[in-house]
Amino acid sequence: MKPSKASQRYRSNRRNASQSYFYQDSLRFSNSDDSFNADEAGDSNDPEQIFQNIQFQKDLMANIRCRPWPMGQKLRVLRRAKEVVLKFEGRLTRTRGYQAAGAELWRKLARLACNFVVIFIPWEMRIKKIESHFGSGVASYFIFLRWLFGINIVLTIMTGAFIVIPELIAGQPFGSTASKTIPKEHVASAQDLDTVWSLGGYLQYSVLFYGYYGRERRIGRAGYRLPLAYFLVGMAVFAYSFIILLKKMAKNSRMSLASASNENYTFCWRVFCAWDYLIGNPEAAESKTAAIVNSIREAILEEQEKKKNKNLAVTICLRIIANILVLLSLAGSIYLIYFVVDRSQKLEQSKKELTLWEKNEVSVVVSLVTMLAPSAFDLIAALEMYHPRTTLRFQLARVLVLYLGNLYSLIIALLDKVNSMNIEEAAQKNNTHRWVDTTTFFATRTALEGKWSTPRPGLGLQRNSTWVLEEAGAPTLVMPLTEANRTTLHTQSVQDQCWETYVGQEMLKLSIIDMLFTVASILLIDFFRGLVVRYLSDYWCWDLESTFPEYGEFKIAENVLHLVYNQGMIWMGAFFSPCLPAFNVLKLIGLMYLRSWAVLTCNVPHQQVFRASRSNNFYLSMLLFMLFLCMLPTIFAIVRYKPSVNCGPFSGQEKIYDIVSETIESDFPTWFGTVVGYISSPVVILPAVLLLFMLIYYLQSIARSLKLSNHQLKMQIQNARSEDKKKVAQMVEARIQTQEGSTKRLPKDSDIDIVSHPSSARSITPQNNGNVVNLDSPSSKGDRIETITQPMPQSPGAGHRSLGSPLPGVSTSRQEQNPHRYPCGPSASTGDIHGNRSFTPMTFKEHLENIHSEPLFRKYFQQSNPHLHRPGTSVFMARGPHPHTSKYYVTNERDFHKKSHPAFWPERPPRRDASGDVVAMYSRNVRRYVPWPPCQAHSPQLSEEEEEMLRRDWSKKSLHPLSLTDLRWAPHFYVGEMSGSQSLAPEGQSRRHCKSWNDGFEGPLDRPMYVHKKPRPRHAQHPRHPLKARAKPRFEPSLTESDSMSAASSSDQQNSSTDQYLQVIHRQARMPRSAGHLGRRKAKSRQNLSDLVCSNV
Amino acid sequence: MGGSGSRLSKELLIEYQDLTFLTKQEILLAHKRFCELLSPEHRSTEESLQARVSIQQILSIPELKANPFKERICRVFSTSPTRDSMSFEDFLDFLSVFSDTATPEIKSHYAFRIFDFDDDGTLNREDLSQLVNCLTGEGEDTRLSASEMKQLIDNILEESDIDRDGTINLSEFQHVISRSPDFASSFKIVL
Repeated sequence: MKPSKASQRYRSNRRNASQSYFYQDSLRFSNSDDSFNADEAGDSNDPEQIFQNIQFQKDLMANIRCRPWPMGQKLRVLRRAKEVVLKFEGRLTRTRGYQAAGAELWRKLARLACNFVVIFIPWEMRIKKIESHFGSGVASYFIFLRWLFGINIVLTIMTGAFIVIPELIAGQPFGSTASKTIPKEHVASAQDLDTVWSLGGYLQYSVLFYGYYGRERRIGRAGYRLPLAYFLVGMAVFAYSFIILLKKMAKNSRMSLASASNENYTFCWRVFCAWDYLIGNPEAAESKTAAIVNSIREAILEEQEKKKNKNLAVTICLRIIANILVLLSLAGSIYLIYFVVDRSQKLEQSKKELTLWEKNEVSVVVSLVTMLAPSAFDLIAALEMYHPRTTLRFQLARVLVLYLGNLYSLIIALLDKVNSMNIEEAAQKNNTHRWVDTTTFFATRTALEGKWSTPRPGLGLQRNSTWVLEEAGAPTLVMPLTEANRTTLHTQSVQDQCWETYVGQEMLKLSIIDMLFTVASILLIDFFRGLVVRYLSDYWCWDLESTFPEYGEFKIAENVLHLVYNQGMIWMGAFFSPCLPAFNVLKLIGLMYLRSWAVLTCNVPHQQVFRASRSNNFYLSMLLFMLFLCMLPTIFAIVRYKPSVNCGPFSGQEKIYDIVSETIESDFPTWFGTVVGYISSPVVILPAVLLLFMLIYYLQSIARSLKLSNHQLKMQIQNARSEDKKKVAQMVEARIQTQEGSTKRLPKDSDIDIVSHPSSARSITPQNNGNVVNLDSPSSKGDRIETITQPMPQSPGAGHRSLGSPLPGVSTSRQEQNPHRYPCGPSASTGDIHGNRSFTPMTFKEHLENIHSEPLFRKYFQQSNPHLHRPGTSVFMARGPHPHTSKYYVTNERDFHKKSHPAFWPERPPRRDASGDVVAMYSRNVRRYVPWPPCQAHSPQLSEEEEEMLRRDWSKKSLHPLSLTDLRWAPHFYVGEMSGSQSLAPEGQSRRHCKSWNDGFEGPLDRPMYVHKKPRPRHAQHPRHPLKARAKPRFEPSLTESDSMSAASSSDQQNSSTDQYLQVIHRQARMPRSAGHLGRRKAKSRQNLSDLVCSNV
Repeated sequence: MGGSGSRLSKELLIEYQDLTFLTKQEILLAHKRFCELLSPEHRSTEESLQARVSIQQILSIPELKANPFKERICRVFSTSPTRDSMSFEDFLDFLSVFSDTATPEIKSHYAFRIFDFDDDGTLNREDLSQLVNCLTGEGEDTRLSASEMKQLIDNILEESDIDRDGTINLSEFQHVISRSPDFASSFKIVL
């Protein structure tokens, strides 16, 4: 269990690590991955482990595409992972197998669906093509268009399915009632072009407009409540638009949340994120390059002189003038529209026959204003001399205001007209009333009509409506009684008074004319201009392409605004003309094709870079603004005005929304009515509003506090980073020193060191320090990592056993292994175990932590190392009795190990080699002080306990006389233990203690103490290939050092004792090395060491 | 020509879909485009998977033609020892990283490698000036002067070099890039 967990941790570790690894490593690294998988695949029988393994492999498979590896390698890893999963999944319970199969199937289906859906995303290829030519900015316009298209499709379906189609199927057919019949005197001209053009005639009396819809509460056999549906759908259109817009905005803002707060990377972004990789068109690329250069220069200039105050007065004057001009033109356009609407109204009243111009002047003027004014603003903006981005913003704001002003003045004028129509109608009503009264026949009829028909002179509309009904029902009766003249007059005026239809007509007209103007402007401004510029350029007296007319630019911002405006019209008119969304769908389709064609053929991208993502929410917020403002007039009209009396689903009601209350009253159980009554009473509504306010306040305060904590976290990150930086900087310094030192010390190794330099240089980077560097080093990474990792999965003891197993006759227990070989065996081996044991828990903890932890493995190995080296040195020992030399042996042992080891110990596994020698160096000095053989097999436990145990052991066993080697061996370990245990309480102190100790020993060389860590694992793993092993350790030193440094820094709290222990050991281990060159010092240091040991004891 | 794409085996296609951010159609299209770069006699499916296309040919595809970093892109994605040719898998890698759906992390990782002109794992001043030169082009009027360049690079380092070692490493780079609103949307190449 334990090994598996450890390996899991290690793996997860590695996974994290792999993301920050340098790419050079990734390949080699994954080799280790492979081998890891392989050996993992081999030895697991525990179902939990298998499950975890499979889980891991699945994770791997799921995320493999996110790894920056080359394809071949990913393919290998994927295949292996699949193999493993396939192989082991069967071993698990069957349900898991089914689950897996199901998941696999589901994945396949999902992928299939995904592939399938891509086909049906409209204009995907077209947009990608544009994207690849003109970059993401231009494409964002089309994506926005497509999104609007989607919304309009839904709106169309809503209105179509719930209003238009039921009316067509089940409603009264055309011509059956007055509101569905073309008045007689219009029949003749109903098919004239100009009538059709102005949406009169047949179109006016069709499902296109509000007036056509019948007033029957239920239609068809199923009793479909059309008026109710009409009202609800009208509201649902707004509701749906709001919801979808807000959802999209929320999604966008979630994505851009990180970027929203701090804008302090301007330079980096201008350089790193400047290029739009989608640009494939050379011309676009040129203009993009120009834009980038401009933006960079701008940034530099801004940086150089934050603000130019020259000509401030002039600039301000110009800006004031510009703003005045803009305001004037805004006011002018608004007045113009109002004037035109007013005039057309008067014309309609005064004239019988209107010319084509007179009929359409409103929409033409509005469209013209919307087309021309932005260009005027553009010119005016040139006066202002703002920063281009500011200019763009001003421009957008002004254009938006203009569009809104236009729409508003139009709708206000229309509503004004509606108002006057109502007044007129009321006047007529009185007229009618009188007239009806005079005809007794009608009077009786109306009396029979029930509730509406009670003759109330004040409410003309009701009378009127009844009258219309009757007239429709029995026109033959009317005719004889009244003069034909009078009747026609009345019918006409009554039918014309359908103001909802009128508003709908105007909106639809506006939309159509807008479409025509768009097409015209695309053709004229873009296409013909492009043609002229391209083909006349050669014959013209100046360069048309680059100076005056140039090619048309694709002005993203204006075009997007135009879309927003267009959508605003739709929302405004949708209630009065249910087919408006359908029309808009067609319009958008046409626009999509036309625009994309125009862009691809005759446009150049806008110089001003208007980026997609930055603007996304900007577009949407404009759209939201528009939606809100367009909803207002409609709602206002619905709430404020009386529905027309003679036409539409709500005719005969006081207000449009009465339909709801009416339905509740008549068609729901009474309790529901009372409940609704309560709910809508102020008693409920006021508290509800209050509650909402409270909620808003609460959420806002939460948002504020979140913002605050966000800020604090950011600060924390910055702090952490700066601390990291400090550490890294220290490490770098240390390494530089080390390298200097090591090159001095080991001239012959210098070449290898040099090889390692570049890689070590990388460890400077804060995130990739430590082991990354390590992996970086040039040679055979795979092997090395293997060596590190392999022991991991196994329990430390097991690992040890595996090392020990080569010994003959060691099958059962470790203690017994040794006796065969050495007299000192038992103690030595227990010592081994102790050493390993006490450290392994640490190592495992470390795995959890992070990359830094890896060095601890080395520590772990390191401990075993001494044993490895002993035998070789011990042989020497016998010859070299001097304390000096004994130390020397350690170093020698290492060097010598490679060469001599095979010769000396051909039959013996090298793992034991070190023990003798390390011990030896102590034996001379220390023997008398330290006579403890830690020979008992302590059952391996957690480190601290063991330490304590060991200490106890010392005290107990110190009397036992042991063979030289044993003794020597033991002190070596105990020195570490000693310092560790001693320093248990104040770790910082102990640390310092160790360090200072080091310093004392060998001033400049103090860092390199870590140097030797690395070599050892190598030995441990490849005992059989001493030469190879030899070669590696040499170029490692600096790297390992940094590793262990980082390990120490990261893990010092938990492992201080271990660290010290290690340090001590290293000290000893490495001193010998330096000893070769600096014999004197070494001797001294040894002296110190022994002293220390003594004092500790 | 059109049929060549569909000859990719199903398993391989599925694996490629697992390994890249591309959809099936995009992989097929990529294969088709890749085959077009090969000489006609090597266009069989097996050969096209093995074959390598020289960088010059890759550079000629219209999607890369205008890109100032095209050489770097090819070198980064090439797996051949001399970094001068691309196999189909390299090509897929390239398209995957530049696809719509690739994660910002992997995009920024590769962006870093692309900007790391000397392949030493950090962006130092030379890399940055080379990068700026690529962006501004070689024209006399567009090229930045030495002082401008120095100012620019100083500012860049000031903003992004968190550990003040005079170079930008991958994590610093990703940190900066991840804050950029535009990067993921513009670091895209679509066939």
